[in-house]
Parts: sequence; C-alpha cells; structure tokens
Amino acid sequence: MTEKSSLYDVVIIGGGIVGCAIARELSRYELKIAVLEKEADVGWGISCRNSGVVHAGFNYTSGTLRAKLCVKGNKTFEKLCQELDVPFKKIGKFVVALKKDELEELKRLKEQGEKNGVEGLKIVDEKELKKAEPHIRGIAALYSPNTAITSPYGLTIALAENAHKNGVRFFLNSEVTAIKKNHSEFEIHTNSKKFQARYLINCAGLYSDKISRLTGAEKYRIYPCRGEYFVLDKNASHLIDHLVYPVPKAGSGGLGVHITPTVDGNILLGPSNEYVKKKDNLAATSKVMKKLIDESRDFLPLISGRDIIRSYAGIRSKQAPSSEGGYWDFVIEESKIVSRFINLVGIESPGLTAAQPIAQKVVQMIHEKESLKPNTNFTPFRKGILCFEEQSETMKKNLIREDPDYGEIICRCEKVTKKEILQAIDNPLGAKDLVSIKYRSRAMMGRCQGGYCLTRIIELLREKYDLSPQEITLKGNHSSLLTGYRSDEVEIS
Amino acid sequence: MNRQFVCIICPNSCQLKVEYTGKKIMEIKGAQCDKGKEFVKNEITNPLRVFLGSVKVIRGDFRLLSVKSATPIPKKYLKIIGKMTHALKVDAPVEIGQVIAKNLLNENIDLIATRKIFRKDCIYRNKG
Amino acid sequence: MIEKEVIIIGGGAAGLAAAITCYERGIENLLIIERNAYLGGILNQCIHDGFGLEKFHTSLSGPEYAQRYINQVQEKEIPYLLNSMVLEMNAQKELMVANRQGLHRYRAKTIILAMGCRERTRGAIAIPGTRPAGIYTAGVAQELINLRNYMVGERIVILGSGDIGMIMARRLTLEGAEVVLVAEKLPYASGLPRNINQCLYDFDIPLLLNHTVIDVKGNGRLSEVTLAAIGKRGGIVPKSKRRIPCDTLLLSVGLIPENELSRQAGVIINSVTGGPEVDERGQTNIPGLFACGNVLQVHDIVDNVSLEAEYITEGVIGYLQGKKTNKVQEIRIILGNGLRYVVPQKITTIKDTIFSFRVNAPGKKKTLVFKEGSTLIHKSFFPRVNPAEMLRITLPAEELKNIKSLTVRLV
Repeated sequence: MTEKSSLYDVVIIGGGIVGCAIARELSRYELKIAVLEKEADVGWGISCRNSGVVHAGFNYTSGTLRAKLCVKGNKTFEKLCQELDVPFKKIGKFVVALKKDELEELKRLKEQGEKNGVEGLKIVDEKELKKAEPHIRGIAALYSPNTAITSPYGLTIALAENAHKNGVRFFLNSEVTAIKKNHSEFEIHTNSKKFQARYLINCAGLYSDKISRLTGAEKYRIYPCRGEYFVLDKNASHLIDHLVYPVPKAGSGGLGVHITPTVDGNILLGPSNEYVKKKDNLAATSKVMKKLIDESRDFLPLISGRDIIRSYAGIRSKQAPSSEGGYWDFVIEESKIVSRFINLVGIESPGLTAAQPIAQKVVQMIHEKESLKPNTNFTPFRKGILCFEEQSETMKKNLIREDPDYGEIICRCEKVTKKEILQAIDNPLGAKDLVSIKYRSRAMMGRCQGGYCLTRIIELLREKYDLSPQEITLKGNHSSLLTGYRSDEVEIS
Repeated sequence: MNRQFVCIICPNSCQLKVEYTGKKIMEIKGAQCDKGKEFVKNEITNPLRVFLGSVKVIRGDFRLLSVKSATPIPKKYLKIIGKMTHALKVDAPVEIGQVIAKNLLNENIDLIATRKIFRKDCIYRNKG
Repeated sequence: MIEKEVIIIGGGAAGLAAAITCYERGIENLLIIERNAYLGGILNQCIHDGFGLEKFHTSLSGPEYAQRYINQVQEKEIPYLLNSMVLEMNAQKELMVANRQGLHRYRAKTIILAMGCRERTRGAIAIPGTRPAGIYTAGVAQELINLRNYMVGERIVILGSGDIGMIMARRLTLEGAEVVLVAEKLPYASGLPRNINQCLYDFDIPLLLNHTVIDVKGNGRLSEVTLAAIGKRGGIVPKSKRRIPCDTLLLSVGLIPENELSRQAGVIINSVTGGPEVDERGQTNIPGLFACGNVLQVHDIVDNVSLEAEYITEGVIGYLQGKKTNKVQEIRIILGNGLRYVVPQKITTIKDTIFSFRVNAPGKKKTLVFKEGSTLIHKSFFPRVNPAEMLRITLPAEELKNIKSLTVRLV
C-alpha cells in the first residue's frame, strides 16, 4: 500500500485556535494550505476548554508579544466575531481585592495596562463595586470595561469553517509521525497520508516541543499545567454580570480561580492550576474541586455545590517549569536552524484574544520571504448555525413554517431544535463525534447533560452517516458509546 | 445454614430468618402470615420468578416489544431465556397478552406481550 | 391565542390520570401536551413489573399500566399533542408550544404541571476523574436498551441503589452483561426491598453499602473506577480504596423534579422536594396552577402518582367553578423530627386532605403525629418505615376544622 502524497504551499500542524486562525489569514492569499489535526475535530486541546475570555491586556508585562498582541486582538475581536457569526459580549471585568495588601497590585496592573494601551481602566472602591455587583465581596477592584467573553469552541470552529470555505484543506485524525526536509520541501508523515510543504507551521500546542524536535529545529520543553473548571446551572447566572477575577499571585501557573459568565448564560468557576506529569491528564480531582468552590465563595458567597452541572479540565502549554511558575513570552518565530519552519510555542493565555494578531504576524513572516497574491475569492464571512432559541417569536414561527425541523425540540434544557442538530451533524469539516455535535449546537450542555437528547442525537447521527451502533463515539477513537445492538439481529425497521 | 429473606408477597415486607439444610427447612422466624412461609419454602426448594425482557419487532411503531413469562418460571432459567429473546422477533401489530413464544426449553415457558404495538404506518394523530 | 379550560403539561402517568379524571368530571375543553412521540412517559421504558398492585390489584409492566390509561384517553377522545414542547409559561397561565406544525400560544384557565423528573448526573455529584464514554445515568441506559435495542457495555459498575439502578442491574444481567457490583453511599439501600432481592441477591450481585466512586479512569472509553468506603464522619477511608476494571458506570443517584417551566412562571419551589410548594388542593402559589406526580415530589410507586393526579383534580374543578371554598388563613405545616418532607406544605382550605411524606431514616414501629400546638389532631401507626417508600395518609376535614397551626412529626 503506497501512501498518497500531496504538495502544499503551507502545512499547519495543529488545528487549535492558533492553527485555524493562521489557516484563515493565509487563505486570503492564493496558497495551497493544509491543516493537520491529530484529533477527530478542531480545537480539542486547550482551545475549546478555556474560559473564553477576551482579555484587555493589563495582565502582561509591557513590551512582550503577549501584551502587544492581546491589546491588538482585543480591539479587533468584535469585528472578527461579527464576520464569523460567533457570540461576543463585552461585559467587562473586575479584578477584586479582598485584602489591603492587594491594593498595590491593583494599581500596578492599572499602570501596566495603560502602558500597554488598554483604555478605560479604573480603580473602584467597595461602594462602587457593591453597586455594580451586589453579590460580590471585595474591598476594591480594578474595572476593565474592554474585557469581553466569547465562545472559545464556537470561534475555533468558525475560524476553521471559514478557512475551509476559502480553500484550506483540513485533515482530521492525522497525527504527525515524522518530518524530513529535502532541500526546499518538507516531507511530513502522518498516521495516514504523506504531505509535502514549502512552509511548515508548528501550532501543535502541548506537542509543539515534539514537532520542533521531529523537524530537527530548536529544543523546547512544554510543561503541562492543568486547569479544572466547574460549570454552574443557568439558574445561578443572576449572581454576577461581569467577569470577577482575584488579584493574581506572582509565580503561580495561572491567573487564579475566577468566576466567568459564559456567552450561553452559564457561570464557570476556575480554572485551577497545577502542573501535571502527563499531557493528556485531563482528570478532575476532588482536592481541586473543593478548592474551586472554596476560592469562588471568597468572592461570591452565594455559590453552592448544588448549582454545579459539570466539571471539565484543560491543559496549558507552559514553557515555565513548575519551580518557576509564571509566564514566558510567546514564541512566534521562524526557526534559525530549519528555514521556513515557523514555531509557535507556549501560546497560553491570552492566546484566544491574540489569535488573529498572532496569525497576522505569521502571515507577515511569510510575506517577507515571498510576494503573496491575494485570493480574490476570499470571503471573511461565515454563517454559523442559527440559534432558534434566541429568535423572536415571529422569527420562530417563520422558521418552523419554512422548515418543520425547527419545531422539533431535541435538547430540552438548551432548547436546541432538530434542524440545528442536523446542521451540526452535517458540518463542513465532517466531524462526527458527539462532542463535535455538542460544540456546534449546544445540545447536551444543559443541566440534564444529555439525559433527554443523547438517545435522539445517536439516531440522527446513525441515520446521517449510516453508522453501526458501535461506531457512535463520544470524542474520537476508542470512545464508543455502545457495544452494538442488544440483540444480534440486523436492524430491520 | 441460616439465611435472611425479605418477603415480597405484600407491602409488609417481613424480614424472614430461615434455618435449613439443603432443601429441608428447619425453622422460619418472622413471618406474619402463612403466605410468607409459603414464599420462603419456595425460595429454598424451587425459587420462581417472572421473566421480563424484550423481543424485536418488525414494522412496528416501537423497535422492541416488552414481554414477560406467562407465569413465574424457575429462577435458574432467567439468564437462558434472556439470551433466547435475542433470537426472537415478532411482526406488528401486537396486542397485550399475545403469545410470542411457546414452551421454551420444553418447560412450558410461554412469553407474552406486555405492550400494544401498532404497525409503523399507523401514527397517533395530533388532536386538539 | 388558543383558550383552554385545562392544559396538562406531560402525558405520562400523572398527566394521563389527571386528564381522564378531569374529563370524567365534565371538562371537555382540555389538552395534554407531550414532548415525546407517544403517551405514557417513562412507563414506556419500564418493562419490569410491579406496577398497578394497588390500583389494579395485579402486577403489570410499565407499558401495560400506561396502556390502561392511554386506552381511556383514546376511547374518550381526550385531545392531546405529541412531539410538542412547552417553551415558555408565565404566571398568567399562557404557554408557548413548539411542534412541527408551528409555534402556538395557549391560554388556560388552569394548568396541571405533570412534567415528571430528570436524573441527577455525574457532573452534578462531581465525581472526580476523566470524562470517558461509558458513563450513563440508569434511565438513559434503560432507554437505550429497552426502547432502542442498543447494548451499553459489557462489564458494569452501578453507583446508587435506587430502584432504577437495581432494576438495571437485573436487566443488564439478563441481557448478558456482567454487573460487577452496586455501590451505595448510604448505610441502607435507597430502593424498595423487593428489588434488592429480585435484582441483586437473585444474581449474586454484591451490594456495597457505605461506598462511593471516588475516581474514574479512561480516556476514550471508561476503563476503571475506584471505590472507597465512607467512614463514620463522612470522609473517605483511605485503606478501603479498590480499583475495579469495568467499561460502564451506571448512575442511579437521585431524581430531580423537572421544574424549569415552573420557575420561569414564578412558581415557588421547595428546596427539599425539588417540586412546587402546594396546598391541600395541589395548587401552587399561582392560582389555577396545579402540580402532581414526579414533578411535585419524586414517587416510587406509580399507583400513587395516579392517585395523586386524581386527587388534585378536585381542586382544579373547584377553581374552574369558582367555588367559594372553606378558606382559612394560610397555615404552613411545620415539619418536626423524623421527616424529610411533607406534601402539601400548607393548608388554605379545609377538606379531606391526603398527606404524602418521607421519613429521614429507616425505622420500625413509628407513629406519625399531627398536632395543633399541644393538641393532638391525628396519629397513624406504621410498623415499618423507610425513606425509599413514600407514605400517604388521609386526614378527614373534621379533624382539620378550626385549626390555626399544624405540626407533624414522627415518633
């Protein structure tokens, strides 16, 4: 069996938000582009598992790429979300001080922010904080009006779908196993096909150190640092309107346990941060789970364990070892050892906010090496799946009249219709897992966690892709939901 | 041998303590009526259970027909009958009480339908 | 806007019984709204028997029990909508309903809430570990096997000794799977004794009391769970940790009445029952809005669901007829020792009243005592009580006449 080989101008390794953003930016030019993603869908690393915060830029040391690209990204984020039909809510953030000795840090953050070009930062006292957030405890806070929230998985998928529309080819379930360079071309071996590329871009996130090593380029080391979250029931959403963060502690792996409203109307508690040994260790731990509740209660006493509907975890790609903690700056550079190999290493927070500016920087790097011809067919616009529940009554009526599939509610908790689920199943990237359907339609994200809709979604998936019961998977290979039919007979009805 | 049983004959759910050797009962304590004693005797000598399972339906509005054994059957046959249901199938429509399988294992074990099934093209009409 | 005298949300056991009784009492302008493609609700997947012992004096399977009511609905031509979801409800008893035929607005003089309940999930009880495929709530597994003809796994651990968990232990065994054990965090089983016998003992499936799952492993599909014993103070006993290889974890850890619509309309929900606070007529804080069945309080025996639904229709009819009832100053029932909850939570009119309640802990030879201050109103003896079994008693109107307060406790 011979491997099929394909020659591309650019191959991007890693279909996370950075890889997909780069793919989209590059698709503005006439280039043959491929994205290789080892999982069964885009974004299954940290991109779909973070808080979804669009940072203003005051947390980052002035002069760093993190600071510059974050501020730039924040300014253009709303437009990006509009183009891609992704939710965006500028709800603002309070960094809350609980003790007097934290006030100094608030001032420092404000100054740092202003130096970085962040607008509107203001220190508020206890009274003003109480007025804005009656349930939050604190003696003072830094208010950032330009901090916003978005859907991290929604955006990753939207970037990918738009890139795909503009000609980028996505290869899912494609794990890179070896990389060679013959003169001017890279030869990239995966577990299925072989690829050739003139430029190779490393967006492999947690595994960016491995990809750099496979290419024979600079040695990096990624330290996995896990963050666990709790998702709260929508019934608790009235408790806060803004993002609420603690004053960050120097030398920790993260920004502290914060309380984040989501664009869907839930509240997230988290993330924790602990360095772990394995890059795929996404387990939640009881110790951290307790810590999340306790630390959140410091700010929001009204939170109760009863409100929890789910926990999840993501893993940060940290360059700083645990002994050091804190953050190193983004690595976004062409390798000095292997030409036309571009490394993106250690893209943790504010990677989401900075995704588009990061991508533009990479495009610029290629532009400096050769002239790029604009793609006249490029469209920046992408339409997502219309959310039935958010429509007006008149609109709902019209939708059902035009397509009765809108009248059939499949996910009872989130009010997701059959039409939306069919659209999620029939997605441009061909992702078939339940998690992929979940990210695209919001089904199974409600308080019953699929109790009503799971069985119905299984039937729709089977019908669309003609799958046997054991081929229905939760999230990629080896995650079958069912062992098969209950009785060995072939399905007749 | 000493064993405890919870009697299932009536909601009293008497806790019965039985002393027995093999199939010979020495003493029953805790029964508030004779039905309980009868129950325990059966449990030791020849425990019977109603089998409950399902059978595939062809062209019905439900995929599976729930069935039960017409009478309680020896407990030891439950798993085997369960396995046998995998090979059974029935055509819609089906009435409650309809005999689906007769004399399984040559032990007079009949399975009867416990659900009403319509043919697939017969749908409930929306009323109102 | 379509006007109805009675709308019943939910066509399961409670909704069907309520609809039929309303119809028999003269209401024809009524409507059942059901989200599934069939009537009967959860009974459709409960293929085991034990239903109908009280109401019909025989042991029926769920579908058979449901069919008795569905037959009456068909015969009486009681109107119902299938595949229809109530999206919104407000305090004016207006509904927005979606189905393939369109979006419809209804206004009802009375609404009977009969939406049933949902299962408590893994997320809600915060079991640590990874989140692989193979973790199901027992009811979902039941639907997959009994309605959809799918098999969920081969080697099963069940957490929670509620009835659904034990029923599924038997079901899975009869379908050829290996059920390794049932773990229960309480010191006693939370389901009915007959189920412990017929589902666990019969198949030599161990029941581990005072145990819970403290970790889950597996990246794609579940590969093992870790069990641990719970010590006297409620913490984990470290030496008791056991790793159990398995590919399926079934959760039977509680049912939660499905009251999202009720909350939306402003119905006050009781934090213990999870259902609306009601008075002796089954009426919530919103006049004309009634509740019965699992949405009001989680039942264990469907016969009681039917009885409860039939019982509250008296209040519904009374409301429609604008009856001037024997109204009193609202009396909140004060809960004393030994009881987890009592339904109704308050009394607003004097009538023969059915009280349902659950005890806190298993016990023998208990008496339920109703008192007004120090005056005895009523007492009932129970030879055996168990939190898993809801108890119901009727207090006649004469006993409740002229009372100014009411406490109830178990001695």
